[in-house]
Formats: sequence, structure tokens, C-alpha cells
Amino acid sequence: MSPLPSQLRLPCLLLGLAVAGCSQHAAAPAAASAGAPPSVSYPSHVNADGRVPPGATLHNPHAGDKAVAANGAQLFMAMNCDGCHGPGAAGAVGPNLGDGRWRYGGSDSEVFMSIYYGRPKGMPAFGGAIGEDGVWTLATYLRSLPLPDNLPTQSFGK
Amino acid sequence: MRPVSAASLAMILTLAALRAGAAAPAAGAEGQWLMPGGDYATTRFSALTQINSTNARTLHPVWTFSTGVLAGHEGQPLVVGDTMYVITPWPNVLYAFDLSKEGYPLRWKYRPDVSPNAIGVSCCDTVNRGAFYADGKIIYNLLDGHTVAIDARTGKELWKTQIADVASGETVTMAPLVVKDRVIVGAAGGEFGIYGWTKGLDLKTGAVVWTGHNMGPDTEMLAKPGDFRPPYDTGADLGVHTWPADAWRTGGAPVWGWLSYDPDLDLFFYGSGNAGPYNAEQRPGDNKWTSSVLARRPEDGSLVWAYQFTPHDSWDYDSTGAMVLADLTIGGKPVKALVHFDKNGFAYTLDRATGKLLVAEPFVKVNWASRIDLQSGRPVLDPSKQTGASKGTVKDICPCLEGGVSPASPPAYSPRTHLFYSSTNNLCMDYTSTRATYLKGTPFMGINSPYSVGPGGYLGTFMAWDAATGRKVWENKEEFPNWSGALVTAGDVAFYGTLDGWFKSVDARTGKVLSKFKVGSGVVGNPITFRGPDGKQYVAVYAGIGGDWLLLAGDVRSDDPADVRAPADYVKDIGAHTSQGGLIWIFAL
Repeated sequence: MSPLPSQLRLPCLLLGLAVAGCSQHAAAPAAASAGAPPSVSYPSHVNADGRVPPGATLHNPHAGDKAVAANGAQLFMAMNCDGCHGPGAAGAVGPNLGDGRWRYGGSDSEVFMSIYYGRPKGMPAFGGAIGEDGVWTLATYLRSLPLPDNLPTQSFGK
Repeated sequence: MRPVSAASLAMILTLAALRAGAAAPAAGAEGQWLMPGGDYATTRFSALTQINSTNARTLHPVWTFSTGVLAGHEGQPLVVGDTMYVITPWPNVLYAFDLSKEGYPLRWKYRPDVSPNAIGVSCCDTVNRGAFYADGKIIYNLLDGHTVAIDARTGKELWKTQIADVASGETVTMAPLVVKDRVIVGAAGGEFGIYGWTKGLDLKTGAVVWTGHNMGPDTEMLAKPGDFRPPYDTGADLGVHTWPADAWRTGGAPVWGWLSYDPDLDLFFYGSGNAGPYNAEQRPGDNKWTSSVLARRPEDGSLVWAYQFTPHDSWDYDSTGAMVLADLTIGGKPVKALVHFDKNGFAYTLDRATGKLLVAEPFVKVNWASRIDLQSGRPVLDPSKQTGASKGTVKDICPCLEGGVSPASPPAYSPRTHLFYSSTNNLCMDYTSTRATYLKGTPFMGINSPYSVGPGGYLGTFMAWDAATGRKVWENKEEFPNWSGALVTAGDVAFYGTLDGWFKSVDARTGKVLSKFKVGSGVVGNPITFRGPDGKQYVAVYAGIGGDWLLLAGDVRSDDPADVRAPADYVKDIGAHTSQGGLIWIFAL
């Protein structure tokens, strides 16, 4: 569909992000030209005989960077993440991403893989659209969300 | 005063069933429930009278069954002969219960292979609104964009057709309509920038015979010159010229509600959903035919008329709610009417032969328009309630985008009381839109719209409405938004469920509650009634809260330890009364 490339460029320009492949969407999948990230290790899984299979461990290069988190908040809307996960990532048809709990694991590697490659039950793969740095920018935003008080217990009545 | 008697309606029901190719067992069509709305007119009226306003107080549950699925249980069962058919939300299991045996054991169940990718492209939960029985087949849609026909006796799949594309943001939640040899279907995806359509399939083979879009060039809308006569518009390619260049290609207009059919006019009627994106400034113009009712011929899909309820939709006011066909008397004249309760808060009565507007009155608090002008058919807008990215936050718009009533909650019409029965919501909203980017397969929205409680402090009602005059006759206030469909019977009993999980029967003439029972989860489904093989009248309904996780905030979910949410501040206590769960209930005297 013709509107795709020009509209896609918009958030990149708006945000001034150094998103890998931001200007290349029209030409080719960004990740393919940049080289796909390595397979990662999931230490939180139950590993047969206690042995973790080999795999890389990824680290967010922007961890704790408030400016990147602010860009991530913009990218969260520009990439339509809020359409499923709700304004402020508080949950809608997709899960709450601000409760400190992660369906597919909360390590940097696991959060990266969820956004980059997508997950079953509906999470699209965004790696092709926003590249590695875009994924880390979103992850930085999600990590910056303050955890709500008293999360596991909900009390009723006045 | 009004010409339709119960007896003639029962005959229409039977005729409708026969025209649909349905078997007509000895019990008669009135003792069964063969199609989503009960009949082609989608009145959800039953001629059964065993349960009446005198004895309904003794109604009690006689059977229940867990569907094993947790999502919102919209829609309704079918009852054909001595079998009850139930479709679950994704993964869209079809159960066939043997009503002739104690405990209603399953004859079979059909478990289709439905892609889980569809879950993420469902704006509003993984619901299914039910099946249609025709020609010995149970016909329904799978969330991942397929229509299936299942042998009603054996449960064997007869055909399966791909109709929609999940990768483009299309899912299928609506119940099909079968007319003669056509199966008519549509797709949801108004939040994903789809190019909305209906399709006509061949009943025998499932092959797609025609596709009619809800916008775009006349050729793609199947609008033929001279044949297509919208009552308030003229000119060719209105589905192109009322949009900026190419915006119609991603303009939404999904079809996820209810379809009705008039055998005399040979027209079927359906509502189209919202325009996309939610930021209306990206699509100046009327955006025809979003938020509209369209009338087509089932055989070839050709468009005969269309009327737009909300031109240039700036509030997510889908018009996918039911188009109920009733013969009314308006100003002393008999009228073949179409009655529709729109998300935008107005109840419309139209001439269903032409689409001309006869009555339009608000049934909840409305402030985006002061009235609907009956001459032009257009709303008289309040300029301060127009939304768009440049306008920042527009405060206190009523109703909220969940609608004065959810299109998922169809009304009922009784030819005995001449009244319509409907759930309503009493919610308003602030609306902040932002520029949205079309990214195929992701939401195309640009919106933050927190809700607030409407005037009076209650959140919903169940009401009786006179569509000939546009007046509310009675109303039961409910603590929470009311999200169930309605049923009304010749015993003058109306039935509905509440979001906090009560199933109620009420006097159709006064609204007085006759019985109530807590059914284990909030009700978002539609009650039906049938005569069992033992000759007794039963009432069936689903429990199973869900259907919109923006409305419900998600604090009623307990299934995912990695997803914990705060309650919404306008329904703080709903979690004290219900949580998710899928149950079928049957009630009897």
C-alpha cells in the first residue's frame, strides 16, 4: 500500500531518533540489512538437567536514560503500541506493561525479543519497522514507568 | 393501533425460517432459535407464552455448563430441534448439546484450528457473536478470518473459506446472515485501518460470490448507477469524494454487528463501524459510508440505499448495532420501519424501503449534537464537541465511545407491547486525539479518551422505548454499564443480564423485576428462549464478562499473573462482584 513508506518516516523525523534503519523502511527490512540479533539465553526457563542452552545475553544500552525514555513514550504512541496496551501502557486488549510483571520474561534480552520478534497470541514483530535501537528505546520507556503501590492485593468497599 | 399481531409475527418467523432453508420440525419455528436475532427482522421476540409475567418469579436455573474459555461471551446459543449449539470466544469451539437427554450431554464438539495471531488484532476481546442455522448447517465465523459450515447432525466440517486477512488487521467476530443461497459476512478492524466490506458466499460451497466495500469507488461498493439511491445524497463515488485522497483505503467501516433481512423488499441491512483513524483531522469530509446503515441485495450484493448516522465520525461512534425491522404506525400511517439504537446516543426510526429518516431522538445524555434534522438527515453539531489533534483535549463529550448502547448488545421488539427493549450506558468522555500512523497490522487510532460517569451517578440502564414517537416508556437503572442483549416474549416478559452478573426477568409493560439470579460472571451475551423436547419453555443465556478491555480496565481478569491492572475510576467496584468465566445457563419455571 502506497501510504506506508511516507507515513512511516514521520515518527522518525518527529522524534529525531537515531533509529537504525529509520530511513530505509521503504527499501528493505531494516533488521535484515543490519543483521539479525543473536539468539538469546532464557535463564528463567526451567532447563533440563539444570543446563542453560547457549545463547547471548543482551543489555539495554540506554538503561536509565531519561531522555531516551521520553523518546520511547513518543515512539510508544507513534508505533501504535498504545492501541493495544492502552495509554500509558496500563493494559487494554494487550497486557499492562507497567506492572513490573512480564508474560515472556523481564530480562533485557527477553523484553527485547518480545518487541523485536513478536510473541504468540498477537504481539506483532516490530524489529523490522523500528530496528534494534527503536526496540531499546521502547524498553527504556517501559522500565521508566513507576510501579503502582500494593500491586498484588486489590481491596474493595469503602 | 399498530398492524402487526403476534400471530402474524409467528407466521413471519416460520416463513423466515423456511426461506432460510431451515427445517421446520413439528414444534414450529417459534419453539426454536435458528438465527442470531431469533428471526430475520432481528426482533429477539418469541411467541412462547408458558413463562409469563405472573409466573416468571419462579424462574430458576436448571442446568449450567462451563465453556472452558474465559473471554467475553457475547452472542447467543442456537436451538434446532432437540440440539443446542454454542460457539465460544477464540478458539471458537462449537458445542452441540443433546437436549433430549438428562444433563444435556454433548453429541459432539468441533474444535477448529484458529490462529492465535488473531488475538492481537482484536481491538476488543476475542468475542464471537454466534452462528446461523440453514440448510442443515451450522454456519459461523472464526476470529482468524474464516467462515465454516458444519453439518448440524454430525459436526463434520463441510466447507471452510478464508474471508479476511489477519495481517491487515481484519478479524471476524460477527454472526453471519444466510438468505437463500448466500452466506453474508463482514470483518472487524475499525481500529486497524481496514477497508471495510461485506461478502456474499455460496451456501453450498463457501465460495466468495461477491465483495461489496463500505467505501471507495462505486464499482467496489457495488453501487450501480440508477440502482443505488441514497435518500439524502447524490453523485457518483461518494465513498471516494467524501475522503482525502486514498484515505478511504484505510478508513475502517468494519462490519461486526448484526444483519437483518426483509424478504418482501429482498434487502438486507447492516451497520458500518467507525472511521479510522480516531483523529478526524486526518480525514476531512463526511467519510461515507462509515457509521452508516447500508441496504443491499443478498444475491449479488448490490447497494440499494445508505444513510449515514454520524457524518465525519469524530468520536468512534460505530453504527454496527442491530437494525431491527418492525411494522409501526407513525402519525396514523403504517410504516415498514427500521429501528436502530446508535452508539452516538440517538435512536433512529427509518423507512426501510428508502432509508428516509422518520424519527430520531436521544435515548441517553447526548451533547455532541443538539438534534438530528429530519429534512437533511444530518446531526446539528455542537462545535465545541468536535475533536481532532489540533484541538487538544475536548472535555465532557456524551455519550462516551463505548456508546449510548454497545452495538454488541442488541435490542428486542415486542409486537404485543409495540416497545423496544435495550441496554444503555450512562458514560461521558474526554477525547484527546493525536496524529496516527498507518502501520499495517497495528492499531490505527491516535486516541486517549478517559470516561466519566454520566448525570445521575448510575452507569447503565435497561429501558423500554417507543420507536414510533421516540420516547422512553420505562427504565431500570443499573449500577454498572449494561452490556447484555435483550429478549422479549409473548408472555410479556423481557430478559437481560447485568455486568455484575445478575440475570433478570422483568415485566415487559412496567420493567418490574420478576426474578433475578447471580450467574457467576458478568453478562455480555444475549438471552434466548426455546421449547425443549419435553414441551417446557426454557431461557438460555451466557455469562462471561469481557468484550472491551478499555471499558473494563481488566481488573476483573485473574488468568495472567504477568498482567495486573488497577480498576477504572468510574467502575471501581466491578471487581468486587465478578471476574471472568464462560458459562451457559438454562432457566425454567
